[in-house]
Amino acid sequence: MKPPLLSATDISVTFGSGDARVRAVRDISLSVGDGESVGIVGESGSGKSTLARVLVGLESPEAGTVALRGRPIFSGSQAYPGASRREVQMVFQDPYTSLNPRMTALATVSEAVRFRRRCPRAEADGLALELLGNMGIGAQDARKKPRQLSGGQRQRVSVARALAVEPSVLVADEPTSAIDQSAQAQLLNLFNGLLRRGLAIVLISHSLAVIRYLSSRVYVMRDGAFVEHGPTERVFTDPQHEYTRMLIASIPSKALRAPEAGALAASRVP
Amino acid sequence: MQPIRPVESLLVVENLRIGIPRRWRGPLLLVDKADFDLRRGEMLGLVGESGSGKTMVCRSIIGTLARRGAAVLSGSIRLAGVELAHAGEALWRTIRGRRVGYITQSALAGLNPVMSIGMQLGEAIRQSGASGHAAVRERALELLEKVQIRRPRVVLDQHPHQLSGGMRQRVMIACALATRPDIIVADEPTTGLDVTVQAEIMRLLRRVQLETGAAVLLVSHDLALIDAVCDRLVVMHAGTCVESGAVDQMARPQHPYTAALNRSRIELAPAGSELVTIRGRPPAVGGWSPGCRFAERCEIVADDCRSGPHPPLRAVADGHLTACLRPHLVEGLR
Repeated sequence: MKPPLLSATDISVTFGSGDARVRAVRDISLSVGDGESVGIVGESGSGKSTLARVLVGLESPEAGTVALRGRPIFSGSQAYPGASRREVQMVFQDPYTSLNPRMTALATVSEAVRFRRRCPRAEADGLALELLGNMGIGAQDARKKPRQLSGGQRQRVSVARALAVEPSVLVADEPTSAIDQSAQAQLLNLFNGLLRRGLAIVLISHSLAVIRYLSSRVYVMRDGAFVEHGPTERVFTDPQHEYTRMLIASIPSKALRAPEAGALAASRVP
Repeated sequence: MQPIRPVESLLVVENLRIGIPRRWRGPLLLVDKADFDLRRGEMLGLVGESGSGKTMVCRSIIGTLARRGAAVLSGSIRLAGVELAHAGEALWRTIRGRRVGYITQSALAGLNPVMSIGMQLGEAIRQSGASGHAAVRERALELLEKVQIRRPRVVLDQHPHQLSGGMRQRVMIACALATRPDIIVADEPTTGLDVTVQAEIMRLLRRVQLETGAAVLLVSHDLALIDAVCDRLVVMHAGTCVESGAVDQMARPQHPYTAALNRSRIELAPAGSELVTIRGRPPAVGGWSPGCRFAERCEIVADDCRSGPHPPLRAVADGHLTACLRPHLVEGLR
């Protein structure tokens, strides 16, 4: 059997020590196929961002293995030399803090292009402009610094930067939560185009609407573990776990007008 | 032509202009022509993109514009008949935190980190005239119970950092309720909170509103949320109100901007379908061109949209106002 594009097996992450030990991620396994979009949904503190950081190698897990096409990239805190981390790239929640404020969009992306291939600066700039253009950032905006760009534009610059190294998997941690609705739609359209071109996307979000729209499979995370996982449509229409049901009941609907109604209020207020 | 205001309006904002005065040249306009009214006991939603002037309108209602260097330039803000547009600090002190309660976006920023919850609630309660340690504490407990905080006696002696985001927002609501206000202004009260907590806070707001009869102005960029919980809504674009009406009426928008906002809603789109985006960016503050400020982004723009003053709000149905010159064409955009 062909191994999945990206797989994580029995990942555990612990922060702190002694009494203050927090198991942020507990024995989690997941896999992503080529061109597949997988969603991870959960609330703050569920460990979803920690998991994302493990997938791209920013955090070393206490235990567990992350493998690309069946070849381990790292196992526990041990990294395999020569293994390519380039293929898994990340887009962060807040583009303002993840972009260098003193570099133009073009310089940011161009630098990433030259990280991937040795080429003259002019050639890298050309490729970077093309990438930015694909993200809807024109040549004029490409010469601006992050503070001169809108939130949506900044987020698209960070996607362009991630794509500059030609990854096969994009891990996006709450990419839409800091931007306006229309900019959100624009970014999701871009993600859809990337999926069609074969890029795999791991989308981490607390927004059920975004996950339902983009991801074909979803993992529901709570307290560092997956409570439910399956095809998105099935999980949304027929949730099996009580927590998933509660999340879905919290999607804004006219039910919120009726005070006290629903299992949610009852479950929280004694 | 101004639409006729219904008698039950508690707060009427008319032709409001807000700007930052500058030396040697005219003020930088942040809000130009905001028109809406807030009725007794209703929940009114105020939506718009970042930079559309939502927060400035809120600040003008609680009289804290000056803290951002801004000021009301012209127009009118009437609270139960009292003109507040150019009110001095003395008048504001009888309004802010008394007749108008305020819930900020970040409860962590809205609460004082070095004061216990009991002390902060106590301050708010004394504003309403109550005095005496025991009476104030009694009322504080009552308020915490009203906002459904478990173990209120423990929470009274805790500090903001010891509470979760949802709990802090409940405390903010309790503080806002302390003086039995006529109006509660809630500026993005659940942004950054988890969906389950958001649902609880919204149910709570709705319940205290029913119990106290206060009107709520709920500001959010989340149309899905506004649509779910509010009775009426006002849409702002580039410092002006472009459409307002009952939530059910707004499901059939009469302004192309509202129509575009509706169509870019992710939760209404089939999975993986091409989402509609609004062309261009909102015009930059200070860079508003004559005529309709949505013209550059509009799909049904015509020549007369680009000249003269911004089109005024006019009624297309009972209580449904739009600033579009050709609302009949919006139908085709939905």
